[in-house]
Amino acid sequence: MRNLVAEVLKKPIAQVKVVPMEIGGGFGGKLPIYLDPVAALLSKKSGRPVKIVMSRTEVFEATGPTSGTVIRVKAAAKGDRLTAVRASLFYEAGAFPGSSVGAGSMTMLAPYDVENFELHAYDVVVNKPKTAAYRAPGAPAAAFAIESVIDELARHQKVDPLVFRKVNSARKGTKMVNGIAFPRIGHEECVEAALNSDHYRSPIEGPYRGRGVASGYWFNGGMQSSVVVAVNTDGTVNLVEGSTDIGGTRASLAMQLAETLGIPYEDIRPSVVDTDSIGHNDVTGGSRTTFATGMAVYEAGMAVRREMIARAAKLWGLPEDDVEYADGVVRSKKDGRQFTFKEIAAQSARTGGPITGKASLVARGVGGAYGTHIVDVEVDPETGKVTILRYTAVQDVGTAIHPSYVEGQIQGGVVQGIGWALNEEYVFDDEGRMVNSSFLDYRMPTALDVPMIDTILVEVPNPGHPYGVRGVGEVPIVPPLAAIANAIYDATGHRFTELPMSPRRIVEALNGLA
Amino acid sequence: MARIVIPAALRNLCGGSQELDVPAATVDELLRAVDARCPGFYARVVEDGRLRPELAFAVDGEIAPLALHDALGPAAEVTIVPALGGG
Repeated sequence: MRNLVAEVLKKPIAQVKVVPMEIGGGFGGKLPIYLDPVAALLSKKSGRPVKIVMSRTEVFEATGPTSGTVIRVKAAAKGDRLTAVRASLFYEAGAFPGSSVGAGSMTMLAPYDVENFELHAYDVVVNKPKTAAYRAPGAPAAAFAIESVIDELARHQKVDPLVFRKVNSARKGTKMVNGIAFPRIGHEECVEAALNSDHYRSPIEGPYRGRGVASGYWFNGGMQSSVVVAVNTDGTVNLVEGSTDIGGTRASLAMQLAETLGIPYEDIRPSVVDTDSIGHNDVTGGSRTTFATGMAVYEAGMAVRREMIARAAKLWGLPEDDVEYADGVVRSKKDGRQFTFKEIAAQSARTGGPITGKASLVARGVGGAYGTHIVDVEVDPETGKVTILRYTAVQDVGTAIHPSYVEGQIQGGVVQGIGWALNEEYVFDDEGRMVNSSFLDYRMPTALDVPMIDTILVEVPNPGHPYGVRGVGEVPIVPPLAAIANAIYDATGHRFTELPMSPRRIVEALNGLA
Repeated sequence: MARIVIPAALRNLCGGSQELDVPAATVDELLRAVDARCPGFYARVVEDGRLRPELAFAVDGEIAPLALHDALGPAAEVTIVPALGGG
């Protein structure tokens, strides 16, 4: 944000300070800048602080929806093997080029090892608002298309849909559509866990009830992160970072530092500071923060450990090689003498001054994340209402640093996906103006619309991160659209190829009115 | 010898080749060597001396942070991918 505002205002970066605020989520729409340069200009003119708040309608109309899409998919199978896929993806970009069609085409086939494929991706410029990123941008629509076709293919070949996905799963070494070979990934393990789940093993019975499954993939970002770690003389530790906390990263980063230092989590005091107070941090987005800033936290923690060893060696008159650090204790390899973390911290003034560690890096070793979802639905053919009876989201989370936050990310993504599947849509008039820009007319799921979302956390550690971290925040929105469409097909025998599957569309389809 | 995976959209410049092996120590050297065999290739990837903003390089499966200046190992594999943003 600092770089973008500076560029718009033609100011040196040093003249722009961004103070991160607490927000409940970013979801992509908060990545671009909107009113920030305007507020800065008005502040400069008036010499006073300026605050500008967008109304809900302004947010709807001016902050960029995701792309409307048209996707055509043709696929072939021999027995239980997926042999070929051809697809064309058309993504609305709005008034300027730059839709998420690239990501859609690169994620579409990521769950599968398919030898023959041909993808055509079109960025379609139209006279409508510029589209923006939205959680796993481009991937949910692409997954809706391919996973619906995979469902049809498995049914046609009389193969269980999860077994079909397992047989054809991408694995380590499988090449993505862009030619890059996957590192260790966990799609196969997700499908296996789904197959063995209580949900999938339980029967689904009754009229107009059905079950659907779908898989999805999303990348993780790497990019730049900076952190500083300072040890207080009472043994507590200040963790200073600049990654805006939009989903619990402050806690998951503190936990990684506690693990590195071998001290209690409660002794870590994390702070997210402004852009003048820390080295550059790229955006909190792209499922990168727990992974990339976590890697910086690990490196800074290791620097503190090395400094602790040096201080103890000085006190004992030993070479540093004769001292080791483990589980928050510095120990002499020669005679077993030891200092706890708190004891070394207390002596910092007479061993060389404050103990700090820092790390600034471009994170390498990104993993990727898969999810496989199972959903049971009941369709009311008279009203068109779709009731979600049961939902289980299986996801390879690498290592779940903070399991309940990970679960929260998955549940949040699923609920957004349910909204896309069943109700949410921007409605534009003939001149491209949005006509449902309020929560009265834009129908989001509420707590009354969704059951408890069960989660199964599969842990296939990312070998590129010291704790095996994979970003978890985006992929859970990818499978729900297709999983629900597949469940509605199972319940009604009607294949929906257009979203949302709203009550009107369902009544029209089931009564031959479309 | 480094290997580059030719993107589908640029294969017409390279006689339909999907991959080329060329001697190169950096990404920039690799692109220039490919350009010598596939005239016009460099200009489709590099603009004003910089990687086009809509593209990124991956070296051995990892996005290359230094872009044109990234060093290549003796058996490096370079892929040109669309630049992506997350949500």
